[in-house]
Amino acid sequence: MNAQLDSIGDISRPSSHPLAGKAMTGADIVVQVLADEGLDVLFGYSGGAILPVYDAVFRHNEANLRDDGSEPLPLIVPANEQGACFMAAGYARASGQVGVALLTSGPGATNAVTPVRDSMADSIPLVVICGQVPTAAIGTDAFQEAPISTIMGACAKHVFLVTDASALEATLRTAFHIARSGRQGPVVVDIPKDVQNTPLTFRGNRELPMRGYRARLRAVQDATISEDHCAAFFAALGRAKRPLIYAGGGIISSGASASLQKFSRTFGIPVTTTLMGIGGFDTTDPLALHMLGMHGTAYANYAMDDCDFVFALGARFDDRVVGVPAAFAPRAKTIAQIDIDPAEIGKVKPVHWHHVGHLDAALQRLVKYGQRHGFSPREDGRYDAWHAHVAALKKDHALNYQRDSALIQPYAVIEAINRITDGRAIITTGVGQHQMWSAQYFDFREPRRWLTSGSMGTMGFGLPAAIGAQFARRDLTVIDIDGDASIRMNIGEMETVTTYNLPVKIVVLNNAGDGMVRQWQKLFFKGRFSASDKSLHKKDFVRAAQADGFAWAQRLDDPTRVNSTIADFLAFDGPAFLEVVIDPDAGVYPMVGPGATYAQMITGDWIASRTGPVAETAGPTGMF
Amino acid sequence: MRHLISILLQNEAGALARVAGLFASRGYNIESLTVAATPDVEASRLTLVIFGDDGLVDQIIKQSRKLVDVIEIAELTRRDHLERELLVVRTDGAPERVDACVQQFGARVLERHGTSVLVEFTGQPDEVDRCLDALMRAAELCEHARSGIAAIERAVLTMA
Repeated sequence: MNAQLDSIGDISRPSSHPLAGKAMTGADIVVQVLADEGLDVLFGYSGGAILPVYDAVFRHNEANLRDDGSEPLPLIVPANEQGACFMAAGYARASGQVGVALLTSGPGATNAVTPVRDSMADSIPLVVICGQVPTAAIGTDAFQEAPISTIMGACAKHVFLVTDASALEATLRTAFHIARSGRQGPVVVDIPKDVQNTPLTFRGNRELPMRGYRARLRAVQDATISEDHCAAFFAALGRAKRPLIYAGGGIISSGASASLQKFSRTFGIPVTTTLMGIGGFDTTDPLALHMLGMHGTAYANYAMDDCDFVFALGARFDDRVVGVPAAFAPRAKTIAQIDIDPAEIGKVKPVHWHHVGHLDAALQRLVKYGQRHGFSPREDGRYDAWHAHVAALKKDHALNYQRDSALIQPYAVIEAINRITDGRAIITTGVGQHQMWSAQYFDFREPRRWLTSGSMGTMGFGLPAAIGAQFARRDLTVIDIDGDASIRMNIGEMETVTTYNLPVKIVVLNNAGDGMVRQWQKLFFKGRFSASDKSLHKKDFVRAAQADGFAWAQRLDDPTRVNSTIADFLAFDGPAFLEVVIDPDAGVYPMVGPGATYAQMITGDWIASRTGPVAETAGPTGMF
Repeated sequence: MRHLISILLQNEAGALARVAGLFASRGYNIESLTVAATPDVEASRLTLVIFGDDGLVDQIIKQSRKLVDVIEIAELTRRDHLERELLVVRTDGAPERVDACVQQFGARVLERHGTSVLVEFTGQPDEVDRCLDALMRAAELCEHARSGIAAIERAVLTMA
């Protein structure tokens, strides 16, 4: 079978690669393809089945040292493989380029299952290369053998098991193509050790045919919005009085934030984003409503309740956004949707107008069409009342918290950091309350500055993602806002920060437990805090950071010292660790409970609600 | 509602498992699944029968179409199509009654050993059900196997 693919790959144009025709082992070919893909960093953990590739990386770096003595393909070694893959994911999220992890077989590869699934769920381009036991040993329960193509097949965008060495080069190139094309995602390439050792000839240009995939991709790439379809869109938008853009992670992955800004400003349409879409639209823009959904701003959720036209862009009506599909955007007469993935159109809620294609091109097309046909709501003032309504919602239902508490409020910590970073730092998070507070209280002026595990919600994401992001963006401040429970999940990567002397800043908002779990237990389980309290845990985070080589490591528990400590922390030139002892009862508000509608949103004690108080203890719920 | 789905699949390691896994992970029971080579050495034809709500099946077809190995996917249930299935049965006893069944259904006898008869029948799935029922009533059923469904879209004939 692979021989057939080989011959088809071979009939492509003659290679102009300077190394074409050179004799190489499979392992050398792996490294050459990685170099050709323009990578400047690899993340990985070695082991028996991947040793030939690790040796090839070593030899490649030795033979191609840069003028400044640095290696062209530095291999960053984490504490474990989950860390390596989250670093690669952090690199990919921050840079927009494919991140690469190199792992060994068996436990090395199975440790990558969580980050691979996480990257699939958030559409992050990764190529994960795993060593596998030799071809002849596959299926014999050999040492460090695991059925990776089966396991990863259910988690990744695609998996290749390379059983024919002659297809290795084409397979690797194709893996990169699949990871970065269409709706992006992780691709796993499982390479048996004997394939890595096979003597081969490097060609420099081959890919697999993948004809079904390529045909579907071409259809999406070639898709344009017809004149009639544009006309239908603007007819509906023209009838609307209260239009609202609902932008998701697709804005970031398609690089469409400039086009979104142009569309929003040209036609005067307010924008709310999902958790994954944060940064796709400048949160400080007057038309920005920040995040919507379960823990969205009250004003974004009220605007969604009030709008009569929803324009969904690269957003998938996730349950954490929509709550009850039938009650979502209840006054919307039109829902329009653009997505690159045909399976997302109308998946959760029926839509009246849709387009499958690239967001950036589609938005540019619509702006041009609207301008050409004299659609000028800015001039004719048709949305003026809506703009005034949105501005009033933002003012009357702004985020707020207890500002005179004797305990440090987590929101105040984030506001203090935000005053210094001004929406320009890269923020990574774990999962839980600190993640939602960060989503709510930080400003983001640009895309790829907000890195979080959105769909999978993987605790432990923040620290390794920050490491990967710092490798992608040496020029930016990278801050991991973490929780005391989340950071424990990959705390081994503290040492990775200092090993590579990365100026990553780590903030642990310590509320002595799984805060979000506690919040749900308080609301839905009558305050029975089953297994979520960590007040008896003995870890001294500051001494742990010092043991891992952090020269700046402090604990902050005095509310009067928040600003000065944070200024000192962020100014430190090198890795720095700050533990902040926060009010353990601080909650995440607003909250649209699971299975509840926006109208039933709880805004807490400090954010004004426009409805009467809602009972805080709901009954047990089947929703998650 | 019954859905018959036809998939042209690239011959890639794990491709079949990925398609089957997609259905299995959503809790669908696959009623029948056939896989066979096509004249194109790079591709196999899968024919799947599942039962499920129309909307859910639409969604799973869209998700299947995203699998990199899938070349084409179509739901034949909504098109004019033909379904055929092969049945082989070994009966024991009452060979004359078995022969009467064979005659009635237009089946074939492949082998005889004493009172044991090996019967082959090809037809539409409901005919296969009826033939199997008749053979069970006629004699003791020792073993039987069904091929699962092979389906094809009917050609649209136009007058020249």
